[in-house]
Amino acid sequence: MNIRSKAWKLLMVGGLGASLLAGCGGGGEEAGNAESVTVSKEGFPIVEQPITLTMMAPDVGIQNWEDMAVLQEMEKMSNIKFEYKNAPKDSFETKKNLVFASEDYPDVFYAAGLTASEQLKYGEQGVLVPLEDMIDEYAPNFKALLDEYPDVRKSITAPDGHIYSLPVVEFSQHWYRNPLWYNGEFLEALGVDKLPETTEELYDYLKRVKEEDPNGNGQADEIGISSVTTPAANLRDIRTWLLGAFGVYEEETYVDDNDVVHYTPMDEEFKHYLEYMNRLWTDGLLDKESFSQTAEQKKAKGQNNQIALFSDWNAYMTKGGEPSTEDPMFLPVRSEYVDKAAIAKNRGITTGAFAITKTNKYPEASLRWVDYLYSYEGSLLFNKGPEGVLWEYENEADRTKKYLPVPDGQDREDFRATLTPNYGIPAPTVTTDDIGKGLTTDFDLWVAEETQTKLLDNGARIPFPALFLTVEEQSEINSLNSDLSTYVKQMEAKFITGAEPMSGWDNYVATLKKMGAERVAEINQAAYDRWKAN
Amino acid sequence: MVKAMQESKGDKMFLIGTYIYLCIALVIVLYPLIYILSASISSPQAVNSGEMWLFPKDITWAGYELVFNNPKIWNGYLNTIIYTVVGTLLNLAVTLPAAYALSRSDFVGRGWFMGFILLTMFFSGGLVPTYLVVKNLGLIDTMGALILPVAASVWNIVVARTFFQSTIPKELQEAAHIDGCTNIKLFWKIVLPLSAPIVAVMALFYGVGHWNSYFSSLIYLNSESKYPLQMVLRQILVLQEMSAEMNGAGVSGEIAQAMNSKAETASLIKYGVIVVSTLPIIAVYPFLQRYFVQGVMIGSVKG
Amino acid sequence: MKASKSSATAELPLLKKSSKRAQILANWELYLFMLPALLYFLIFHYFPMYGIQIAFKNFVPSMGVTGSPWVGFDHFERFFNSYYFWDLLWNTFSISFYELAIGFPLPIILALAFNEIASGKFKKTVQTVTYAPHFISVVVMAGMIITFLSPSNGMIVMLIEALGFNAPQFLTDPAWFKTMYVLSGVWQSTGWGTIIYLAALSGVDPQLHEAAIVDGASRFKRVLHINLPTILPTITIMLILNMGNILTVGYEKILLLQNSLNLEASDVISTYVYRAGLVDAQYSFSTAVGLFNSVINVILLVTVNWIARRTSSNSLW
Repeated sequence: MNIRSKAWKLLMVGGLGASLLAGCGGGGEEAGNAESVTVSKEGFPIVEQPITLTMMAPDVGIQNWEDMAVLQEMEKMSNIKFEYKNAPKDSFETKKNLVFASEDYPDVFYAAGLTASEQLKYGEQGVLVPLEDMIDEYAPNFKALLDEYPDVRKSITAPDGHIYSLPVVEFSQHWYRNPLWYNGEFLEALGVDKLPETTEELYDYLKRVKEEDPNGNGQADEIGISSVTTPAANLRDIRTWLLGAFGVYEEETYVDDNDVVHYTPMDEEFKHYLEYMNRLWTDGLLDKESFSQTAEQKKAKGQNNQIALFSDWNAYMTKGGEPSTEDPMFLPVRSEYVDKAAIAKNRGITTGAFAITKTNKYPEASLRWVDYLYSYEGSLLFNKGPEGVLWEYENEADRTKKYLPVPDGQDREDFRATLTPNYGIPAPTVTTDDIGKGLTTDFDLWVAEETQTKLLDNGARIPFPALFLTVEEQSEINSLNSDLSTYVKQMEAKFITGAEPMSGWDNYVATLKKMGAERVAEINQAAYDRWKAN
Repeated sequence: MVKAMQESKGDKMFLIGTYIYLCIALVIVLYPLIYILSASISSPQAVNSGEMWLFPKDITWAGYELVFNNPKIWNGYLNTIIYTVVGTLLNLAVTLPAAYALSRSDFVGRGWFMGFILLTMFFSGGLVPTYLVVKNLGLIDTMGALILPVAASVWNIVVARTFFQSTIPKELQEAAHIDGCTNIKLFWKIVLPLSAPIVAVMALFYGVGHWNSYFSSLIYLNSESKYPLQMVLRQILVLQEMSAEMNGAGVSGEIAQAMNSKAETASLIKYGVIVVSTLPIIAVYPFLQRYFVQGVMIGSVKG
Repeated sequence: MKASKSSATAELPLLKKSSKRAQILANWELYLFMLPALLYFLIFHYFPMYGIQIAFKNFVPSMGVTGSPWVGFDHFERFFNSYYFWDLLWNTFSISFYELAIGFPLPIILALAFNEIASGKFKKTVQTVTYAPHFISVVVMAGMIITFLSPSNGMIVMLIEALGFNAPQFLTDPAWFKTMYVLSGVWQSTGWGTIIYLAALSGVDPQLHEAAIVDGASRFKRVLHINLPTILPTITIMLILNMGNILTVGYEKILLLQNSLNLEASDVISTYVYRAGLVDAQYSFSTAVGLFNSVINVILLVTVNWIARRTSSNSLW
């Protein structure tokens, strides 16, 4: 016991000493000149006297952030120097929690992906600084964005009325999930010139694929639709698209045209979807390996020219070869139950990308800094790097650009990743079509056209707005969902593969209700009503 | 010694059976290992479609090039070797004396000490409080954070204790005491030299632990220059696996495209990384095997 | 065995003769030996242990362990009331016992076999090769399992079909999950597991063998009556330690092999907790479940240790 208490004392003293020292090093000098800094409300530099702040961000490990041309340029322009306390992307979540637990806050979080409940919890505790008042004065670009898109303001405002974080805004990215693509070679071989428009036509087409050997290798190795398994999700890549045929916008939660929020898995529409999928499965049109294969295995089948319909960012990424306009995008089909297919569209905003903590001595300057990223110039800088490195203007007036040759024959994206932090992380910025102007290929234009005619023109809409639940609501949903989502996943697979006959549907719904499915819908409904009323 | 003896027919059969058993074990284990080697230099398409099943197909070195072109890899190797050597030495210094003390039946209170240690195998304060201890000790971003919090393992202490208990003859200790030998001398001059096998085992267990560990570095290290090999390799893999995260939200088309070209090498690199990170430590094993020869200990007692 | 037996008899007179106090004084250095380990466990294990209380709290990182609000047994109730609680418990137990039943004896047999053959290239090769799989990462391991068992072109499936059998749906049939998990684990860790027994086997007294040979004992008999008893203490201790880990089934490999179809056989406590934490880091909930696991594990360990103490001279305490 004696040893023990001594050791405790030793430890306490050691700990105290360390934290005292840390306190001295950080605070002393900076606090002194915090008063004297004036933050200009527009133009650069942001501050007259250089200041130093700390930033925490996820790092993909290609280039040290100090050496990135974009950040160096930004420092020169703004007079704000950042010290980076980055964590590798895959461990960022863990590190973030440790930072909050050890009160070792950075001055700003960048591309942090703060969840709604994190923003709320840490906002309520005063760890994250409310931004809404400062935005009016120190974030002209972002303010303009909010004024133009009131929904963005609604989505980033917490239930307590504060804005704790700035979002990623991507209005030029419409897809909710990767699209489905038809294998163009199969379409041609089977002489199909009009894409299926109904679930029946789709069924017939897939049936022909299976029976008529469209890849011409003499073997019946063709596969209708193929999906993959990842730890968290089966069928995730194709589900949303097929659910749409039965009038459902999203696999879990969506709001219908009458402002009613649904919990999809207990709806009758979900049953129709299951019946259809079961038919595809039974007749061998849905890849039998959909519940076990990896993405790589699916891809190998695609490259073998075996799959008729599949999900990917672009078709050639599964089929191999060069980008090709021969593989058309899936036209959402409709079933006999609905007049038109439900199509989900990307929300275009992801909250929690940028936040300022209470230890930050220059919140206004920090906000001015990030505000630049919501302007065309700033967004361009962070997206493509400074002019003259990766790209140059062809016509600055109408913002047309062209790419410059990449040094040393490097891959252009690899090179870009050494210039800017905005590579593979949810960085606070707004991307508009203007940024890529002149840099797009014919293929890009074709994809945009497909997206426009097949999805947007057919009434694609956001299934459920980005909104805040209260901390209590969130924790209740989390706790309900841990059983619900497992059960749904399991039963969906069983219904589709026939391990559970469709006659078990009523039982299934009863179990869902017992697990609190209705409560999930109720909570989301309440949150939606609040959002709507705002 | 034993070999000189005539072996009976039954013994021969038994030996043949043993050889057959080992041959089967060898084949079963070897196949997937060869598969990994082949997969690391075959085209991903051939691997994923099942065409490559034993020997490399459409040979490509792209995976290894990617790994070894990474400027951080050698620094990572160096760091890992340093952490492994220093960490293992510390582990041995903490584990062996404690295990020996616990093995002594005349050690008053050993039951309590055992209980004290065993309890930590089951109850742990969790990530956050442990992190705070490391932080308050000022170890964040130092080598200390990687080796001190794992200075000993209950499991290994128990294993070493069992070894001491069952192989160090009690008579030895009594004889030493009668000769006026202190416990420190006894341990250092007699017990340790007799315990080469367990020292080798402990060094291996701890060493492999340090070699493979990445979680501590992930939590406690901030500077990339201090990253061990496993962290560097993880970073390479993370980049490759980014494509998996595309789900239409928050990823631009350009990234998708870049990631697609990388996805090609992703599976390649997955196998290559295994080879790169484990060959050195597998190569160490044959050198340790000579400590596991029967009679090593008793022989030295006599000699 | 012989050594420990004789030590047991030798310690009796010692205990009687000297008082405890004298013994402590005589062996004061042994306390010095313990000191580094004690300090280590104190600082890095006992000191942070106050963190266990978050199992009964709603832990908010920025409020700290002590500052977070108490919620009593809420997290435990949530776990016990889960629809899947009994399934999880059953799967965890059965996977563990299955693994123990197959994975525990094999390294012992392999080590005894290694010990029988003469040192040379073959022995070295087999030993090194069987040891190597231990280093294969879980991701690659799972990837290989899925590749080898793929219904369309998996090596093992093709082999079974070439022999004229119908290959089962290894990857999606719940009935096969545990076997797949356990056997691949055995493949990966048997060679590694031999190390500890090989070290123990080095303690075999060659004189015993020589005497037995003179008596005309066969090789097999000698393995059974000399080698096996020598490593019995190690076997006993390993078994006890393993029992104390029964509820500890790691989530990584299971998660990678899990899919909607085999979920009913593959979902264990750790994967359940992992999924719960995906949405939001749920420290309190996972600590509560961890605490539950620990309590069960401790009970098992104590029980098995008690049995071992009753039936043999070897036990943890």
